Amino acid sequence: MTMIERPDVNVPRKPAPWRALERRWTRDFPYDWPSDDLVNRRQMLRWAVGLSGALFAMTGVLAALGFTTKRTRGTATAIVAADAIPVGGVHYFRYPDNNSDPANHAILLRLDENRYAAYGGKCTHLSCAVWWQQASGKLECPCHNGIFDPNTGDVVAGPPTRPLPSITLENRNGTLYAIQEAIR
Amino acid sequence: MHERRFFRPDEGMQADPARRPLPGRAAIAFLGLMLGLVLMAIQLWLLTLAFDFYLSGDRNKTVLVAVISGLIFLGGLAILWFLDHRPEGRR
Repeated sequence: MTMIERPDVNVPRKPAPWRALERRWTRDFPYDWPSDDLVNRRQMLRWAVGLSGALFAMTGVLAALGFTTKRTRGTATAIVAADAIPVGGVHYFRYPDNNSDPANHAILLRLDENRYAAYGGKCTHLSCAVWWQQASGKLECPCHNGIFDPNTGDVVAGPPTRPLPSITLENRNGTLYAIQEAIR
Repeated sequence: MHERRFFRPDEGMQADPARRPLPGRAAIAFLGLMLGLVLMAIQLWLLTLAFDFYLSGDRNKTVLVAVISGLIFLGGLAILWFLDHRPEGRR
């Protein structure tokens, strides 16, 4: 094996100008060098690989959950008489459960004479309640100004990246029924 | 019990000739460390991406992201294995 000469190894060094300052901080913040020496590069690499494995495991769990989580929920529930909502009007209701949980906040819109649309009213950004703004003709989340298209529930502007959950509707003898909610 | 000493910039690895790295070795080691950190940052980003795909119900993309994250992890394991099985003189 070839030895590399190191002429600089035994050359005495001049005291560095920061020595005075250094003495002060070593007195104020004593640093236990032998304990620090216990962590070497290989151990750090092992920790890094372990962290990498943990990140992979979390991503894997999400992938597995994707196959087990139900994407639809709710059962057929009567909401309101179809004629009770004027064209361009809105009706707020609770779905899939009729309780005060904010997750059940839902919106029914009458888009024109024969066209209705319903969406889950929880913003896909940070779960604030989404409301119909008559003036702008859009669904708006007041928390961070997320705006959704009333025709499709898609994001028009703002921080949300996913559309609102859509609720399938059915007109049964003049009464609108919510059939199920689909998370998109 | 260890003797309690204070850290000084010129002691430790740099002061000990036996532990001082060969020219260029430290740069290569730091390059590897930086690459590892960048790859872990990518894995963290992939996790957020997977969460978004999971919430929007896109199963295939969630699986794809998990596979990429797994490949990065396997790469790290391979490097660790390679370092642990190198000939003694080259450590």
